[in-house]
Amino acid sequence: MHRSRLLDSLDWPTLAATGVLVAIGIFSIASATAGNWQAGIWRSQVVYLGLALVAATVIVLIDYRVWAEISLLLHGVVMLALVAVLFIGHEVGGNRSWLAIGSIRLGQPSEMAKLTTCLVLAVYLARRVRGTLGLRQLIEMGVLAGAPVALISIQPDMGTAVTFVPIVLAALIIGGVRWKWILVALLIALLLIPVAWPELKDYQKERILSVFDPDRDPSGVGYQSRQSRIAIGSGGITGKGLFKGTQNQLNFLPAQHTDFVMAVFAEEFGFAGVLTILGLFYYVFRRGMAAARSAQDRLGTYLCLLIGAWLAGQMAINVGVVLGRFPTIGVPLPFVSYGGSALIAAVCGIGLIVNVRSRRFVN
Amino acid sequence: MDYRERWELKDYLIGRRLERRILTIHVACAVILAAFALNFWYLQGVHGEEYAILAENNRMRRVEISPTRGEIYDRSETVVASTRPALTLWMTREDRHDLEAQLERLAPILSIPLEELEERLGAMTGRPLFEQFKLKEDVSLVELAHIEARRELFPSVSVRETARRHYPEGEMVAHAIGYVAQVNETELSSSEKLLTGDIVGKSGVERRFDGRLRGDRGWQLVSVNSLGRQIGDARIETEPNHGRPLRVTLDMGMQRALYEGFREEAGGAIFMDVETGGVLALVSTPSFDPNLFADGFTTETWKSIIEDPRRPLHDRAIASFYAPGSTFKVVMAIAGLETGTVDPSDRVFCNGGKSYYKRRRLCWKRGGHGWVDMRKALAHSCNVYFYDLGKELGIDKIHEYGKILGIGRLTGIDVPGEEPGILPSRDWKRRTLREIWYPGDTISVSIGQGFLASTPVQLATMMASVARGTAPIPPRLIDGPPPESGRLPVSDTTLRIVRDALKQAVDEGTGREATLGAYSAAGKTGTAQLVASSAGVDSEDLDKAIRDHAWFAGYAPAENPTIAFAIIVEHGGHGGVTAAPIVRKVLDVYFQEDAEAESEPDEGAAQIADASRGGRRASLATPR
Repeated sequence: MHRSRLLDSLDWPTLAATGVLVAIGIFSIASATAGNWQAGIWRSQVVYLGLALVAATVIVLIDYRVWAEISLLLHGVVMLALVAVLFIGHEVGGNRSWLAIGSIRLGQPSEMAKLTTCLVLAVYLARRVRGTLGLRQLIEMGVLAGAPVALISIQPDMGTAVTFVPIVLAALIIGGVRWKWILVALLIALLLIPVAWPELKDYQKERILSVFDPDRDPSGVGYQSRQSRIAIGSGGITGKGLFKGTQNQLNFLPAQHTDFVMAVFAEEFGFAGVLTILGLFYYVFRRGMAAARSAQDRLGTYLCLLIGAWLAGQMAINVGVVLGRFPTIGVPLPFVSYGGSALIAAVCGIGLIVNVRSRRFVN
Repeated sequence: MDYRERWELKDYLIGRRLERRILTIHVACAVILAAFALNFWYLQGVHGEEYAILAENNRMRRVEISPTRGEIYDRSETVVASTRPALTLWMTREDRHDLEAQLERLAPILSIPLEELEERLGAMTGRPLFEQFKLKEDVSLVELAHIEARRELFPSVSVRETARRHYPEGEMVAHAIGYVAQVNETELSSSEKLLTGDIVGKSGVERRFDGRLRGDRGWQLVSVNSLGRQIGDARIETEPNHGRPLRVTLDMGMQRALYEGFREEAGGAIFMDVETGGVLALVSTPSFDPNLFADGFTTETWKSIIEDPRRPLHDRAIASFYAPGSTFKVVMAIAGLETGTVDPSDRVFCNGGKSYYKRRRLCWKRGGHGWVDMRKALAHSCNVYFYDLGKELGIDKIHEYGKILGIGRLTGIDVPGEEPGILPSRDWKRRTLREIWYPGDTISVSIGQGFLASTPVQLATMMASVARGTAPIPPRLIDGPPPESGRLPVSDTTLRIVRDALKQAVDEGTGREATLGAYSAAGKTGTAQLVASSAGVDSEDLDKAIRDHAWFAGYAPAENPTIAFAIIVEHGGHGGVTAAPIVRKVLDVYFQEDAEAESEPDEGAAQIADASRGGRRASLATPR
């Protein structure tokens, strides 16, 4: 394909919408950290965006079918990184999730694992699955997706592990698992709750209970979720204005530039801003679904669907946490939250969708 | 099969199915987004204004203005308890990822084990991140200098000034004044005024007058960030009411003489003003340093004090009860004379023992006292005389007069924790032991043993009552108008005989070791028997652990008494030997201060004091 034709066929609206989300993120990060010790951290996010663009360009330039050829290799490398993290990782907030050499942090392999898991599952579905999933296929897919989930659970980064659930769920739906099996799985999960409950740590139990009873222990575990809702609610319809959010500026919000960045944005831009951000996400998701439909082969279709499910699922979990509808777990809002690895992985995901779309015509 | 194969017409059916699956995912996503939009609308559109108010409250915080705890002075305005500023070290958990490393550096500086610091940091898990935790209370300037010198190594550490209770006299006043510590759950639930972390009085005067000493907190409104750091000006909502100072009746000079008099011995003693009931000295040994409790982290110290088998926290002056021994003969004598059971001149022959109800009872003097009348029997503490008297009186009369003189019930001293002791009666024995009263029980009670149990404060109150000639009044540590004293249903003649005998006891009887030089005293020694058979054995020959407790109770001067006292020395053997010399030291201070006060600014004061000391020495040198 000729270079200029590739440029012409690129999905510019999707890229633009993603760009707006990242920009919103950078402003919110700047506001969230203004005046505290992390002020100026938004500049790092700009640098990460630059790195993400370079990575995405490489991804778009090479045909997604070539990426598919080396997908197992890529997945394997990421798995190795996840294993390495367990031994030489850098511990932050009780989670050993950072790959580091000395004190230089290279990134969180768990973010990249989401992308490679989408890739290998899409390849597997395209290559091996016709009609409905058999037991053997279920097991093989279970190994492909289960390996990163297990390694990440050991870190232990439960939040990131949970973000694999939508990916796996989408893969099962695409593969054509019978609904009754999904129902059986749900039933088993329900039955496991009483067994697993005593195994949970006290703070984990509290976080789960505080979803059902938000005013439970307002200064303890329920604190974050309560402060988040106060920040959101006090934003009203139009918001308090950029850099004007009192809850945010006075640091009442926890993790305000990472997992709770949505609350910062909601306080400063109000319901109008929230609708904008949700609208942008929906738009990007729609474009992903459209790319899936127009793809020229199964692989392209599955790839778009899985990446769409990953990003939409992660967004749903993050916003659910911010609204107090989901137990507080550390999951970043795609494109918006502060964090290099997460931003690069998400932008690369968009890169793959764009890659599939731009090669939709048979040549 | 090659995955690169394109969508072909033959895949049409599969494609249709896939289309449905795509739609499933799409709809799921759209529904979730719509639900989120509704939730945001609920928070921002419907309840936006309520949350705006909550946000404002979040920003404004009511901050406590702690009242300063009132100081405590003794009768001559010496500071007994004060509040001094102290520096507390806090750690902020926010913003840093190297807390463990900082703790590692702090541990040796603060001389706190690293494990303990880490444990305390761990205990904060689940608390809001902005809550700081306490590293150490009352850090020394040296410790602070170590930290300030390398400030960059301790970015999360901050210093705040707090008020801290201080007892300059330390162990000496521990039981009388008490101590303060952080409020516990029980106390919190009993008072609406108290909040977690408040410092309250836990024992002694500190507890009894806690409300008055503590005062009421004030409040100010400050605009804060999440660290609790004040930003902008504070507005005072309510001014604090600082605690009011308290003057106690204690005399630090006497208190010191009494505490030091005990040396290594365990025991308790109280000295009180005969007319007002004002307590001049109150000591229990072994004691503890009340300053240790103002610390938040005294688990180790706490344990060592609580687990000490000598029980230093226990107040032996008001809460330990012992058989009153021969001091109870005062009650016996008054009962005998008042009921007309004996005439003062009636005589009994003591040959060292006598049988009652088929059991031989001994007198402490193995050879016997010979013929004794009431005065001699009391002065020389003849058991046989009182066995006879008790047998004739019966327990009912003994109980009646014991009650009149305040034995076996609370004196009402204004220090918390007093115990009543036991004044036995037929009814008491039936209720508690489910047994009838045997005549032999009365014989034991006649010399202050058996079921009887009394406290030093009770016996001092009784002696003050005898000295004054009116009913017992509650001793107190707080100044105030003297309480109404009821009539004592005892005739002047009886009182005169008993007082004479008590003076004789000090001058020539069992209490002569207490002979007091320039001033006269009256009193009665006693022993609380531990080993029943020891009545015939000299207590001094016994092993210390099973040796009897030594009593001495009385008043001074013998004529126109102003001060009454009671002291017990645990395992002290005979009261005349161990307890009386301690009393003498305290009375020396008391009368010396009195003399100084009267003759001031007369230069003769020192000479009088010298003379009184010289007199005491003389009496020591030549025992009469």
